[in-house]
Amino acid sequence: MTVAQAAESVDLALALKVVEEMSPITEGDIIPLLQRLQDTYGYLPPDVVLAICEETELPASRVFGVATFYSQFSLEPRGKHLVRCCRGTACHVRGGHRLLDTIERALGVKDGGITKDMVFSLDTVACLGTCFLAPVMMVDGNYYGQVAPDRVKKIIDQYE
Amino acid sequence: MSQVTFRDVESLERFRQEAQEEAESHRARVLICMTGCRSMGAIELGQAFREKVAAAGLSDEVAVVDVGCHGQCVLAPAVVIEPQDYLYGGVTPEDVDEIIETTLRQGEPVERLCQKVGDETAATLDQTPFYAGQQRAVLANCGRIDPTKIEDAIARGGYSTIAKALGSKQPGEVVDEVKQAGLRGRGGAGFSTGLKWELARKAPGDEKYLICNADEGDPGAFMDRALLEGVPHQVIEGMLLAAYAIGASQGFVYVRAEYPIAVEHVAEALKQARECGLLGKNILGSGFDFDIELRMGAGAFVCGEESALIASLEGHRGMPQPRPPFPVEKGYRGKPTSINNVETLANVPLIVENGIDSYREFGTEGSAGTKIFALAGRVNNTGLVEVPMGTTLRTIINEIGGGVPKNRSFKAAQMGGPSGGCLPMKYLDLPIDFDSVQEAGAIMGSGGLIVMDDSNCMVNIARYFLEFTQDESCGKCTPCRVGTRHMLDILDRICSGEGKLEDLDELERVADHIKSTSLCGLGQTAPNPVLTTLRYFRDEYEEHIQRKHCRAAVCEGLLEAPCSHACPSNVNVPQYLGLIAEGHLDAAMDVIRRRNPFVSVCGRVCDHPCQSHCRRADLDEPLAIRALKRYAADNAKGLSHTLTPPTSGDAEVAIVGAGPSGLSCAYFLALMGRHSVVFEEHPVAGGMLALGIPEYRLPKKALQEDIDFILRHGVELRTETRVESVTALQQEGYRAVYLASGAQTGRAMRIEGENLEGVADSLEFLRARGLGQEPKCGKQVVVIGGGNAAIDSARSASRLGAEKVQILYRRTRTEMPAYDEEIEEALLEGIELHELVAPNRIIGKDGVTSGIEMTRMKLGEPDDSGRRRPVPIEGSEYVIECDMVLPAIGQQASIEPADGLETTSWRTVAFDAVTLETSGEGIFSGGDVINGGGTVIEAIADGQRAAIAIDQYLGGTGTLPPDVSMSLFRASDEELEAATTSLEEPTLPVDERLSDFREVVSGFQHAGACAEANRCLRCDLEKIRS
Repeated sequence: MTVAQAAESVDLALALKVVEEMSPITEGDIIPLLQRLQDTYGYLPPDVVLAICEETELPASRVFGVATFYSQFSLEPRGKHLVRCCRGTACHVRGGHRLLDTIERALGVKDGGITKDMVFSLDTVACLGTCFLAPVMMVDGNYYGQVAPDRVKKIIDQYE
Repeated sequence: MSQVTFRDVESLERFRQEAQEEAESHRARVLICMTGCRSMGAIELGQAFREKVAAAGLSDEVAVVDVGCHGQCVLAPAVVIEPQDYLYGGVTPEDVDEIIETTLRQGEPVERLCQKVGDETAATLDQTPFYAGQQRAVLANCGRIDPTKIEDAIARGGYSTIAKALGSKQPGEVVDEVKQAGLRGRGGAGFSTGLKWELARKAPGDEKYLICNADEGDPGAFMDRALLEGVPHQVIEGMLLAAYAIGASQGFVYVRAEYPIAVEHVAEALKQARECGLLGKNILGSGFDFDIELRMGAGAFVCGEESALIASLEGHRGMPQPRPPFPVEKGYRGKPTSINNVETLANVPLIVENGIDSYREFGTEGSAGTKIFALAGRVNNTGLVEVPMGTTLRTIINEIGGGVPKNRSFKAAQMGGPSGGCLPMKYLDLPIDFDSVQEAGAIMGSGGLIVMDDSNCMVNIARYFLEFTQDESCGKCTPCRVGTRHMLDILDRICSGEGKLEDLDELERVADHIKSTSLCGLGQTAPNPVLTTLRYFRDEYEEHIQRKHCRAAVCEGLLEAPCSHACPSNVNVPQYLGLIAEGHLDAAMDVIRRRNPFVSVCGRVCDHPCQSHCRRADLDEPLAIRALKRYAADNAKGLSHTLTPPTSGDAEVAIVGAGPSGLSCAYFLALMGRHSVVFEEHPVAGGMLALGIPEYRLPKKALQEDIDFILRHGVELRTETRVESVTALQQEGYRAVYLASGAQTGRAMRIEGENLEGVADSLEFLRARGLGQEPKCGKQVVVIGGGNAAIDSARSASRLGAEKVQILYRRTRTEMPAYDEEIEEALLEGIELHELVAPNRIIGKDGVTSGIEMTRMKLGEPDDSGRRRPVPIEGSEYVIECDMVLPAIGQQASIEPADGLETTSWRTVAFDAVTLETSGEGIFSGGDVINGGGTVIEAIADGQRAAIAIDQYLGGTGTLPPDVSMSLFRASDEELEAATTSLEEPTLPVDERLSDFREVVSGFQHAGACAEANRCLRCDLEKIRS
């Protein structure tokens, strides 16, 4: 599937179900709402967000303002697996930037990018809070600690 | 848990009794960290324990419990076994059978899974230095209970303090207690928690809110994560007390989405507390209502700032508001709101439970209680450490943390994350509390403590933090948004070698503006990492700017590979390692010799900064670069050629001293086509290489090969010619002079008896041997000092017939400047080392040495370098019998020929840091005469720098010939991973050494050398590969 195809194949009914479950929705619920939508679709399809704004009568400017402010939200499709590389201090002093270089090379994308086959997205995170494992990377919910650059390929190969 | 609802305090206490009985019904408990250790296989381990304990029929007696963080995360997966409190690290499912048999059945520790303290096994928590040095109060239950079970928390006293408060205390009393206990906010600023509550409590209105700030965004801090994951009910209890105190009926836990386990555990704990009636309406029948909603952050560091956090909760972009009004007056939904950090809230039950005096027992006057530090970075025992406020960094890092790994040296402690700063060595003994850290230029912050060693570049660290804050700046106010960008641009320039010295002033100027005019804490503190590194490590900034040099070999804009960058002479290390791996030894020699003519010498006696910066050390062991260099020198064939045609004619440059620096300068001048003459006072060339380093370390033949190679380039050598004056040389017509006369005089000890027969300066002693004389050697020899000259003298004395040789040093072995491997060999050869002793006087009989009186020392307060100063122990004097004393306590520069040149207060020649030019025009200086005693490779590098500067001074371009041989060889990833062990060079058996001065270390053989060279990661090719 390509990025464009992914964007077309969005099912709005899923979003409406979320809205129904969370009703009544006020401005204070914008972040939890977007978090649930992102959980549902893997990202925030802009058309869905617009439709939800109409449905809930939340101003679109306000909702997009929030969606673009926080690093957790993505308005573009994400890969099937999310690879996260920690750029915390402990990781940095233990060679974290070289780990990021290696991951970028292994996936062929830069920080924030998605592979052409849409299998992997790559993000950096401020700190994963597992400094004792530095340098750390995470794939989906799994932590990988003390990752020497030569282990990266093996880790990524476990996912497809 | 069966569904229970606590309608009153009694029902809670009844349940507690039952829960305690249940908890005590097992004779042993296996506590497996299922939080941080999950990433290292804790789940599989837990499964294995459950299955095997059941299979062994022990299920009724032994409980297997999933718990929170034990603290010593480096041991992951870590297991504690009660009741003995055995601590096992790195446990795998394969270890479980043995643990069941040895520990659970017989009660004995499985020693191989325990830590070692020296040779002793530290089986229990109390025996391990990591725990013995701590005061675990807030963390007392973390790692002891199953965080997903409220009954576990209740069995260990959970919710007893809120029960007590609801039953017998007015809200105002709780506020007063917390205030008087002196609790200060653990999230960073250290504001009085009691005062904050009092303000919130007294603020008008009935609708008030409590927010638990669990948006632990500081990179390098993870105590809040551990508390939420390991003891969520303790945090909820703290929130209940806080809410009761300020009169809030609604609370929030605002937690980072990046902490999935914390989210899961808090959500579960809230659900259980609600089901039990510990949250909700009419809690414990008291009439007090309070409930908590869990909110996840969406990834914005600025939301740790309280007004930005409130904006985020209200569904806005997380941008801060100007304060005042403070949230305690006008917060969430415009109502009074108290925002407290996780660790702060987890402290509150301790105060209510044990009282003010008990709480104040720990900590300092201004900062009561304990503090949890997240210890990480370049330290052995990474993990969570809870110590009383006022504990020193030395205790935390060296004793609890086990010091800096892999023989590196401590450089700085980074405290307070991106808002904090880097504290250098001299603050190691600073008692840490909110105020002392701030005075030193950092902040306590949330307690992140990242240790840095000499492999970390402080400019790079400052740049790293600024990149972070720049990225996280919300953009609302200009000083933070634009100012941090400007500072980052400057730092980028410095890190890529394009900085100017004025940049440093500009950084300070912009930093001051940002600090004083930013809207919120993020901007106000963002410049701190830059300011502290400028304050304490300014020389590193200057090096980046003036010499394009990064001493830690980190800044990638300045270097190709860390090894060659770390080499003072810039030898292209990866290239020659590649050529050795391919078997092209002549080409490898060619590469080395373009930057260093002393290949045989440096292959034997270099202190190898290249090797100390090898990135392979991050994987296993660094490459044996020095040994490979020697292998090339010993085995290359076509060594007789020269790199350039020999120079001839009238010499343009005069060089004083034929040591490594003088000869290198002459050699590099020759490579650039300039003819020079080298004057040497002694009959042999080589300086300290010939007259200082004994032949068992550096055979004459090896040295001579290097000198012959240099001379073949046309360099003229005039031995036994003493230069009295450098200016006189200029008058003779030399257009430039390089003064490299070394530092060949030993420092006097200035004690009684120094003129007795049998007392000889160690440098003279070594020199006599170097000149081919047989120096007189005693039978009972005492060497005073801890440097290489001391070790060389001692080992030489052993070879010259001494029966007993003792080295006396005033500090301890760790502080000895001598190479560690040399000390090791000396001890192997039977030389005794006495630490912490200093000489008082030398005792003589009839003018001849008969003994030396020594005083024992102890380590006292540290000096500016952070090394603890030795102080004499009164009345501890004692006498060692000896007939020879060799002082080796330092050398003095030989500045006699430097007439008319400026000197320093250290009695060395003053020079320009970049060109090495002295105060006399056309007169350059380098080597030991300017630094009073350095390493061989530094002396060679000075010769190289001076040659370049002299060539430029004389109108040339100062360009050394480029490499002509190239190797793109790099082993495959698989081969690189498989080749894990580093070789050591073979040494002569000890019993064959002492009869003569034969070389002790022999070189690699062909196969070993190739295998070793194959381990090189070829960092220099990384840019090409990507």
